[in-house]
This record gives sequence, structure tokens and C-alpha cells, in this order.
Amino acid sequence: MRTEHDILITPNRLHPKGGEVIDRTTTIRFTFDGVEYTAHPGDTVASALTAAGVQVLSRSFKYHRPRGLLCCSGHCPNCLVQIGDEPNVRACTRPVEAGMEVRAQNVWPSLNRDLLSLTQLGSRFMPVGFYYKTFIRPQKLWPLYEHTLRHIAGLGEVHIDTPLGEFDKQYLHTDVVVAGGGPAGIGAALAAAEAGAQVLLFDENPTLGGHLRFTVPMDSSSPPEASKNLPELLEAVNHQPNITVFTDTSVLGWYQDHWLCAVKGTRLFKIRTKSVIVATGAYEVPLIFDNNDLPGVMLGSAVQRLVHLFGVLPGKQVVIVTANEDGWDVAADLQSLGVNVGAIVEERESNACSSPYRDGLINAGVPVFYRHIIVEALGSNAVRGAKITRIDEHGEISPKTTQSLHCDLIVTSMGWTPATELAYMAGGKSEYNEERAEIIPVSTPPGIYVVGRASGTHALDSQIAEAQQIGTAAAAFVGFGEVDGLTAHSPDISKPRRTSERVCVPGNKKRFVCYCEDVTDEDVQTAIAEGYDSIELLKRYSTISMGPCQGAMCSMNTIHLCAHANSSTIQETGTTTARPPTTPVTLGALAGQNMEPVQTTPIHQWHLDHGADMMVAGFWLRPNHYGDPASEAMGVRERAGLIDVSPLGKLQLTGPGVPELLERIYTNQWKNLPVGRVRYGVMCNDEGVVLNDGVCAHLNDETWYMTTTSTGATPIFEWLQWWLQSGWGEGIHLTDLTDAYSAFNLAGPQSRAVLEKLTDRNLTNKAFPYMRVRSAKVADVPCRLLRIGFTGELSYEVHCPSAYALHIWEALMDAGREFGIAPFGVEAQRILRLEKAHIIVGQDTDAMSDPLSANMAWAVKLDKPDFLGKPSLMRISTEGPKQLLVGFKMVDSDVVPDEGLQIVEPDADGRLTITGWVTSSRFSPTLAEAIGLCWLPPELASQDGAPFTIRIDGNLVEARVHHDAFYDPDGERLRM
Amino acid sequence: MWRSHELKKRYDVVIIGGGAHGLACAYYLAEEHGITDVAILEKSYIGAGGSGRNTAIVRSNYLTPEGVRFYDESVKLYEQLSDDLNFNVMFSQRGHLTLAHTDGGVNTMRRRAEVNQIEGVDSRLIWPDEIKRLCPYLDVSDHPRYPILAALYHPPGGIIRHDAVVWGYAHQADVRGAHIHQNTEVTGIKVKKGKVTGVETTRGRIKTGTVLNATAGWASTITTMVDIKLPLTTIPLQACVTEPLKPFLDVVVVSGSLHVYISQTDRGELVMGASVDPFSSYSMAGSLTFLEGIAGHVLELFPALSNVRILRQWAGICEMPPDYSPIMGFTPVNGFLIDVGWGTYGFKASPIAGKTLAELIATDKTPDLIAPFRLSRFEENDLVGEKGAASVGH
Amino acid sequence: MLLLTCPNCGNRNVSEFRFGGELSSRPKDPSALSSTEWANYLYMRNNVMDAQTEWWHHNAGCGLWFLAERHTRTNEVIKTYPYAKRNA
Repeated sequence: MRTEHDILITPNRLHPKGGEVIDRTTTIRFTFDGVEYTAHPGDTVASALTAAGVQVLSRSFKYHRPRGLLCCSGHCPNCLVQIGDEPNVRACTRPVEAGMEVRAQNVWPSLNRDLLSLTQLGSRFMPVGFYYKTFIRPQKLWPLYEHTLRHIAGLGEVHIDTPLGEFDKQYLHTDVVVAGGGPAGIGAALAAAEAGAQVLLFDENPTLGGHLRFTVPMDSSSPPEASKNLPELLEAVNHQPNITVFTDTSVLGWYQDHWLCAVKGTRLFKIRTKSVIVATGAYEVPLIFDNNDLPGVMLGSAVQRLVHLFGVLPGKQVVIVTANEDGWDVAADLQSLGVNVGAIVEERESNACSSPYRDGLINAGVPVFYRHIIVEALGSNAVRGAKITRIDEHGEISPKTTQSLHCDLIVTSMGWTPATELAYMAGGKSEYNEERAEIIPVSTPPGIYVVGRASGTHALDSQIAEAQQIGTAAAAFVGFGEVDGLTAHSPDISKPRRTSERVCVPGNKKRFVCYCEDVTDEDVQTAIAEGYDSIELLKRYSTISMGPCQGAMCSMNTIHLCAHANSSTIQETGTTTARPPTTPVTLGALAGQNMEPVQTTPIHQWHLDHGADMMVAGFWLRPNHYGDPASEAMGVRERAGLIDVSPLGKLQLTGPGVPELLERIYTNQWKNLPVGRVRYGVMCNDEGVVLNDGVCAHLNDETWYMTTTSTGATPIFEWLQWWLQSGWGEGIHLTDLTDAYSAFNLAGPQSRAVLEKLTDRNLTNKAFPYMRVRSAKVADVPCRLLRIGFTGELSYEVHCPSAYALHIWEALMDAGREFGIAPFGVEAQRILRLEKAHIIVGQDTDAMSDPLSANMAWAVKLDKPDFLGKPSLMRISTEGPKQLLVGFKMVDSDVVPDEGLQIVEPDADGRLTITGWVTSSRFSPTLAEAIGLCWLPPELASQDGAPFTIRIDGNLVEARVHHDAFYDPDGERLRM
Repeated sequence: MWRSHELKKRYDVVIIGGGAHGLACAYYLAEEHGITDVAILEKSYIGAGGSGRNTAIVRSNYLTPEGVRFYDESVKLYEQLSDDLNFNVMFSQRGHLTLAHTDGGVNTMRRRAEVNQIEGVDSRLIWPDEIKRLCPYLDVSDHPRYPILAALYHPPGGIIRHDAVVWGYAHQADVRGAHIHQNTEVTGIKVKKGKVTGVETTRGRIKTGTVLNATAGWASTITTMVDIKLPLTTIPLQACVTEPLKPFLDVVVVSGSLHVYISQTDRGELVMGASVDPFSSYSMAGSLTFLEGIAGHVLELFPALSNVRILRQWAGICEMPPDYSPIMGFTPVNGFLIDVGWGTYGFKASPIAGKTLAELIATDKTPDLIAPFRLSRFEENDLVGEKGAASVGH
Repeated sequence: MLLLTCPNCGNRNVSEFRFGGELSSRPKDPSALSSTEWANYLYMRNNVMDAQTEWWHHNAGCGLWFLAERHTRTNEVIKTYPYAKRNA
């Protein structure tokens, strides 16, 4: 029994009873806005606060009105709180933990005295969409207004030092997914599993059972033999090996081909299934009346959740407002717990009520007001009474008959709207059912089924029967048993549990349709009158259903109001599109573990051990430099250097058809390339745009070895595959050796001497001249040696099996020590190649550049037969390029213009016209002057030495066109 | 705000597509050229397409001088739009940051900054210290995968209330006499001797000599009615929004490498989008792949957001031209005009596209500002170089 | 997530594939084309909102380029087949 102390600190906690999920033997402590409260394990934050008598949990978005528990099922925005550094937590579903620091959101200065609530005094100046109509002039002041609006808006806070949490993902594969573990979902899962299908059963609550967890199945329409009780259902699930249960798990969305997403805390499930049974129940629909947002106005199902799961009732004197048997169920339920039911306000005539509890309640002295409805919740921060009135013979509200009832809790049970988002995401179609006043699914795509309240079936025995049928049908659909002709579902709507069609009671205070955005029914009328009369425009203008509840609380009521205002039907009015996720999901869960890949070469650790500064290059990490790129470059010019070029794309082509293919994909000639030779080539697409460049070596009769740029490795491989598989592939095999082989460029005048120490191959210039390829053992490992020269020095590109890469790298470094070898990085290579005016595809060219303009006409043979890009290049050749890529030197040799700067021509008034831009620039350590490459108009580019101006920091600085390579223009050093 | 009308038998001008472009064109036709006998045909509700599905970013820091000039005019029109339309479109010039994560990225940003400055647009390259000041929540640490090396900072860039632009133009077009026909789908276009003579709709036939196809996303489906092929591929573009949060992100942040752009609305929600989907489609269903990808990328930039919740995702469709630039103006069919190829950059051009096309319709001459965007550029081999930026275009 | 049937490997998530655009064929003799015809080949697309025959590459699998018929409004894949069987 509860002690006096218990009663003092948790006045709303009821005496213990069966079915509770809380452990009363243990008490834990947490704080809300700095005040300490107690809770029991199993409590939610909201149930614990409610037990302690806290009614106001939040302030509303626009008017900062006090808000308390409404739905208690994680849907409405009323209990959103900040917990530690986590914003926008639904307090009604978040289990409380010892030491939790819970705070109210968006209040100033405090939850109970929120001065921003004064905004509602001006609310007649702030009707729906007021911001579109105000603050227009003077426009200069708009940023000021906006600043204020911004700081009034928003809910929870993101703390800047919030650590990145730990999240993960799991893939699941199954025959049937059942979303929702209430009686209908359990029944369908059992039926499908019994037929032999593998079933995954998901429920967002901590335990299965749905509404059976907190309602006693005392519904007369469910004969006891049909209504299996919850323990039996759970037992059956436990014994069914084909069912795997996921609790605390929300199914977030349906995506194409039955790809589902679900979340359980920090884990995201991605599920491929063959069939989906939507058993996600229904949302209880709030009634719209004056002050219907007052703390203490709650949905019937919310009160039952609090009472049965947590032993909490937030009131002592209850008025129940209803239009169906559900309200009577709630009344009887509360009455049986000893709660004082002050009145039942029933919209229907007495003879329309068929509740089996009617007589019992009346005999117990509960006053019943038939043909009455609530018009206003009385009170300022909490319910202190209810104003009700009679409905006249025309169905109208008669103001003359209002009377006030004293109460501190108003419970509304006005009907339901199916929670069928998943079925609609999958392409299900709905219709308005007048009998039930519900929009229910009428057709679903193959493999999608809807059952239980989600399909409009409310009575438990009908749900169980329907579940059996649907579960069997789903199993048959995935191949277990015969399809019995049932294609979608057959909701049982025969039971007389009619939902009220009345959604709004007129009055003279604020009546909220949308709790998230503080939209009232008058706002809806205003918006429609202004022309936002379709449901989609209404939604966008009023922002109704766009807040945290995503329409769960407001969609049905809005459709009713919209239909009524337009004098059209619910069916004509239609619904808005259901969009994932069904329930908000954290970025962390969606992201999972960080799996952004980086590739490293076999030499990676060596680079790190030798002080490399690594840079990201595409998917690769490469050494940018080892401390001093200029000396690295000079080392190559004067002695020898070694660079890891393993990221280069490496493709092997074999077969008699290779030369013909090369002729088509490169712009230059290949058939005449003898065995043992290497040639540079440019690849274009048919637009004539440079795609890639590299060398290709003729290894032997039918074998060719191609390199591509590192970022081009995969795209060019796929591109070649496409040409090979779409008609050009006869007699050709293509193998990607990019990862299998590593490659190093040994460059510098001493490189021959270095390499000679490691190989028996004759490396003399005569035996192995420039632009040749040789097979050779290097440090006892079979390698391919390409004598090519991106750096402008004598150099050998050593291609070796990746498994031996480190061995060869270290052998080369050892062999080179006596010659002063040093490793060099990407930056030194950029300097070296620029001194030779070699271009880098992607830096000096972009997605619009052609080789003729990019100063590579020498690599384009327009007189050979058809090749990729030829017609486009022919045209450019005839019409002349619009711009040319060309080298330049700065007049002031110390000024290095940054890459990306523009080349301009000033007119007489000093206005600048852009004529080109700088693609590459460096200070050349070899020449001791600033050099670069740039795009210029042809007439300028074609004159060696022509002056032009580059805009540097806003100043015009002179440069001159330079035609030859800056260093060793005759290429003698390459051929040493 | 706007009225319903019976469909008249003939109109001087028929605009297909009731988005921001079509409605803006109707407004400028009336406001600047006195042409008011105009029908706007919208198959759904106004703003149902890209106009109501984009992430409402407005900027002019493009790569090519043609692009910069065009979008700069658009920004200038946006700056006075609330006043012009007597409707607050809530243009919020919060500043726009495009992050560079590689040396090449820095160079591209510098290239854009320089072109922008020369064209008179406020735009400059800034470094991590200043980035951190403008956007404290960004992780500018020495990140291994996507380090933030620099950013292109464009102070006039910002966000706007996209629906308000649609509604504002619709209202003022309506006031000036244009007929907005919602739920009116075009089913055919009549051409006689190479000249447009009328339009067939689900609500009846209309005679007209001038038709503007302003249905970006669906433009190929309309243009095929007059037997013209366009250089377009329609691809979905997805976006999502979080629950409202107290303001912490002032600027718009874009990362081309990470394919993400993110801003915080006045209501406190974070609106974010990515690059276009990996395959062409007219479907607006949205994918989980998108959500997973964007969440990961946002957390790369803003690790403090892992507890922030996504509320809703959606998709629009974009038609991508080969050079990432629009296609505007005349076609081989006399009287059939196009305003298409708006890729991922259409909304921000709405005012200037509407204004220049209105001028083209009224004068029968292509305004200089949109001459680079003519359809014939493809056979003239005179593409616009906007693709050179090769980064996410928002 | 869309499922695609690779003619070699069977049903796989679309994330294993790369989209290659609507089917178009490179002209047999480009030199015979006018510049307008060449521009049409390079740039113009049917871009239908209907069944579309298109290229896909199983790049995270067997490397096959194959054809799919897919409805571009619903993304429903009608069939997939190797390029060699395009006229079957």
C-alpha cells in the first residue's frame, strides 16, 4: 500500500494492480527543470511526472500555451522535452532513467511563467499565414523581424559539444513482416508462421499486445471464446519458431520492392521482405472545442495507458466526452478502479448507445448527458471544469443550454483514424467510409495487407478472425499454402462502433486542430477562404500536419474541416501524401557507423613512418610531401627520387582485337605501335571532351598494358567494359590490375644507376630507350618497367605485384642511398610536371575541355578512321577552338598567381572582361620563377610572349604567354 | 488569393505549368507588357512540382559569367519581391558557404569567387577560422576524410519561403487578369504548318498562338507533343527536414564533395538535400538510400547533430541538361516556347526566368541575358560551361 | 530499394548497379552525319515517362552491362536481358 509520503510526492499514483509495467519496489530519481522527482523502473518520463502531479510539460510552438499529456503514445507534440543533450524527446514513451536531466523546451524564462505566451494576446493580429502579410515594408527591417521570429521558434536545443553517438545497422531478410504487435498483428503473424512463413513481428512498444496491454477486453461484441487473452497470444508467439519479435522497434517506412526500414534505439534495421502486413492500429482523434489544448484534456486511450501501465491518473474528477462505445469502456474501466467519473457527455441519443456498461454506470450514479457535447475546457493552466451544452434537434449546438461541470480531467473518446501510412507508402488506396467516419484502405499492391484497426476493424473477435485470414493469405502469397482469393483485406465494419463525424464544436476561444503548429479551426477556415482550398495547399499554407506529429493528431480533422468549408465530400477532399519516416528518426541511426572509405597503398605505413604529410586524392590517401616539396623536386632534377604512384589505374587488354579498340578509344594511332613500345594517349567521349589520359604499353603480340589517372581507374574500366560489351569487344579480354599491381616512379639522372643495382636487365639507353616497356626482375621480383617521363627526367615506372610492393620500394630506396635518392610526393610531382608543361586531366581541363583546345593537338589524329569524339573534334578543328590552354610566366617572377584566378582585360572605364583563367601555377625551384598554365583566347595564346593580365587580390598583374616547356623544352633529359 | 475560372475558348498566351516560373511569367507579362489574356494550366495544384519541393536556396555565385549575371538579376528581383508582390516571401539573406575539402575544390571555389567579384557579386574565399566564426557547429578539425580546407562565402545567398513565391506571383497574376487553372492537364498541342494553334486539356480545347512550356521536370512529356526532342534526362532529387530546433545554424552550408546542403528555416527545422538520384525516373517516392547517405554526410560536417531527428523526406524531379544550364526561348515550332532544363537550379531563377520570357513573348526577341541558354546552342556546339564547376549545384 | 535482375547473378539491390542512361546506339558511320544529326545523337533524349529501355552495369558484381525495361514513373522493372538478346 502507498504510504502518506508516497501520496505526498506522487499524488496521482494509484494503488498497485495487475498488468503494470513499473517495478514499485525500486525508486529512482531524476530532475525536470532542476526539480527532483521520483519514478519507478518502467515509468516513462511523462508517467513519472504525471504521478508527481506535473501537468504542464511543454509550451506550444506559436502561442507558448501550456500543454500537457494528450495522446500518451508518442505521437502528439505535447510532451516533447530536452533530455540532456538530446532535443525533442517524447516524454510519454521514453523510459525514465536514474539521474536523467529533463528540461522543458522553448520556454522563456520558465515553463510555468513563459512570457512568450503573451504572443497570444496579439493573436488576432497573427492569424494563419500572418507572416506572409506582415513585415513587408520597409524591407530593410525584415531581417530584424526575422531575427526575433527565429528566436521565438524552434523547440529543443543542440549543444555544440554533443558527442557523436554510437550507432549501427542490421540487415534482415524474411518472408513476411508484420508491423504492429497488437492482437491483429500477433494473430496475423501466428497464422503466417503456422503456414510455414518466416515472420518478423515489430512493435514500437516495450512489449507486444497493443491495446490489450491497457484495455480490458470487456467489449460485448467480443464473445469470450473468440477473444483470446493476451497471455495466451504471447505464449503462442513464444512457441512459434518462425516468428522473431522486435519490440521497441518502429517500422519507419516502406520503400520500393518491399524494402523496409525500422529503428530500435541506436540500431537501424534494413529489411528485405516478400510481404508486409500493416497492423499499426489507429490514432485516436481529438475533438476540437474551446481550449481543447488545456492540460487535463486527454484522449481516452491515453488515460487508459497511464492507468493500466503505470498506475497513474492525472485527475480526481473525470468527465468523459464521447460519441461511441469506447468512451463508455473508458468510463467503466475507470469506475472499476475506484475513480470518480463525474459525468459522461454523450453525443448520441440514449437509444443509440449499446454499451454493456451503460446500466452499471448509471446505477452507480454516474450522471449521463445524452445528446450533449463539450464546448469548452475551463481553467487557465489546467482543467478546472468542462462547459457542456445540448445538441438540438437539427444537430446544432444550442448555446442557451450550456452548463458547467466541475472536473480536473476531461477525457475525449470521439473516434479513430487508421494508422495506415505504410500501406499508403506502398501504393495502397483509401476511401472514406461514412459508416465508420474513417478513411480506410480499400486496395493495396500485391503482398501488402492491412489488418485490425488499421483496416477499420475494431472489434477484437473480428480482428482475430481477420488476422487469421490475412496471415494465411500473406503466407500463401510468399509460397506457403494456397492463395484463397483474398487479395488485400476485408475490414469488418459491421460492428456498430460508429465514430462521430463531428470534429469541431464552435465557440469563441481558441480551438486547436493542429497542436504542433498551433493552428485553430478558424485558421483553417481563413486559409480556405483565401483560396488555399485544396488539402495540399491548405497544409502548406497553414503548416498543419507538418510538425512533429506529421498529421497523426490532425489529418483527419483537417480533412473534415476542409471538406465542410468547400461543401465537398471527404472522398473528394482526399488526403495528403504519406511520407517516410512514420516516426521521427535520428540522423545517427540513419547514418550508422561512419563507413566513408579511404584506400591506402602497400607503402602507406612506410610513408607515415618517413614523415609524409598525407592528402586525400579521390578515394586514396597519398603523400603530399615529406617536409619540403621544393627540395624533393630538386632532388629529382639533380639526383634521383621515388614516388608511389600505385593509385594509377592499371588495365590489361589481351587478344587480337586490342589494336582496333585502342584506335577507337584513343585520339591517336595505335596499330603501328610495335611490341616493346609505350605511347601516350588521350581518351575523349563523343562530345570530344577529354575523359582521361595515360600511357599504353604493347607488352607482346596480343597483350597491352594501359594506365589511367587514379580517379579515372574505375570509370575508365567501366567505360571500356561498356564499349567491349556493346559491340567492340570481339577477341578482347580486359582485366583490371589496379589493385593487383603497385607502381613507383623512379626519376632523376641517377635513376638508371639505382635500378641497375637491382636488375640484370640491360638498362642502357640503347637497349632500353625512352618510351619503351621491358619485363625484368627487380630485387628478384618479376616487374614491368615503363620508361616514361611525367617529371621530365630520365625515369622508370616500376610496376610490380602488390604483395611485393614494399619489398621493392625498400630495395629501391636502399639501392639509391649512395646516389642521394629521396622519396617525393604529389606536390613535388606537380611542380616537376608543370616545369614540363604537362597537363593534369581534371585540373587543367574540366568537364567541357577538348584536347585540341587543351594544347594536345599533337595527340589527335583526325586523319585516322572513326574514333570516339572524332566528329566533334573535326568540327572544333574546322571552326577553331574558343580558348587554348597555354603556358605562362609572370613578369614579376616572384608572384605566383593562385590557381583559379581569372585573366581579365580592362576596358577604357576599367570594367573587366574575363578572357581566361589560371589552371596551374607554382614557383619553379629549377628556374627560380613563377610559371603556370592558363586558358586564353586563341589569338592571344598563339603569340609566344604575348602579355596579359591576371587579377590577383583585385590588382591586375602582368604575365606572358610561354609556348615551350619551361624546362628542357627539347626533352633531352628524358632520352639520356 | 486567386480565383477559379471557366476555361475560355482562346487565350493570347497559354503557359503550361503553374509553378513559380510559369506564374512569374504571367505576372511580368501583365505588369511589364500589359498582356493579360493569359492562361496558366496546372495539372495539379499550383506549386505542386519543383517549386514546392526544392530546398529554397537562392544564390548567384555561379561559375560562368553568363550564369552569374543571370542569377544575380534573379537575386535582385528576389530582394524586392515582397514589396512588388505585397506578400512576404521571407527572403533571408543569411549567407551561403560552399565548402572545399580538397586542393582542387579550393581552386574551383577561388575560380568562382573571382568570376563572381569581377561580375560584381559579393563572394569570396574564406578559411577555416572565419568558417568557424560563421558556423560554429561545423567540424573544422583536422578531419581525415573530408577536411574543411576553405569555403566560398557568398553573403547575399540565403533561403526563402518557396511556396510564398508561388502564391505571391499567383495572386498578383490573378489580380492583373491572368486565369490560373488548377487540375487542368494538357493532353495535346495543335500545330499547323509549323505554328502552334491550340492546346488540348482535360477540361477542353484552347485556341492560342503562343504556348510556353514551363513544366521543368516533365518538360519532355510536353515537348514530345510537338515532336521536339530535348537534351534532358529527368532524375529525382530528394530532400528531408528535421524536427524544429532552436536556431544554431545561420548560414546555408553546402558541400559538393559530400553531396549535401543544409540550412535552418525560421521555424527551426533543418532542411537538407543531396545531389540527384543515381538513376533517371519520374517517380517522387524517395529512397532510404538517400536518407542514410545524407545523414552520414551531415554528421561528417556537424557531428553534434546525431540525436536530431528527421521528420519527413520527399522528392521532386529535375531534368538535367548536358551543360547544367537552362534551355529557354524559341524552338523549331513557331509559337512554342520553352523554359526547361532547370536541373537542380530552377527555383532560384524564377523571377528572372519569368521576366525575361515575358519580354521574349512580348517582343518576339530573345533578351541578351538568356541568349546563351537558347536551344540551338546544342547543334551550334556552343554549350554553357556551368558543368565545369562539377560540384553539387545548390 | 529497387531490385534489379542481373542476367548473370539474379536479383540484387539496385545499389550494386550503375545506371547507364536510356538505350541509344552510336551511329555506324558518324562521318555521314550532318552536324545537327550528330548533335542529336550526342544530346537529345526521349526521356519518356513510360517504359524505357536502358543500360545498367553490375559494377559491384559480375561487370555485365545489360538492358532493362523499366517504367520511369513507377520504377517497375518489366524485364532485364543481355545486350546480345536485345532483338530477341
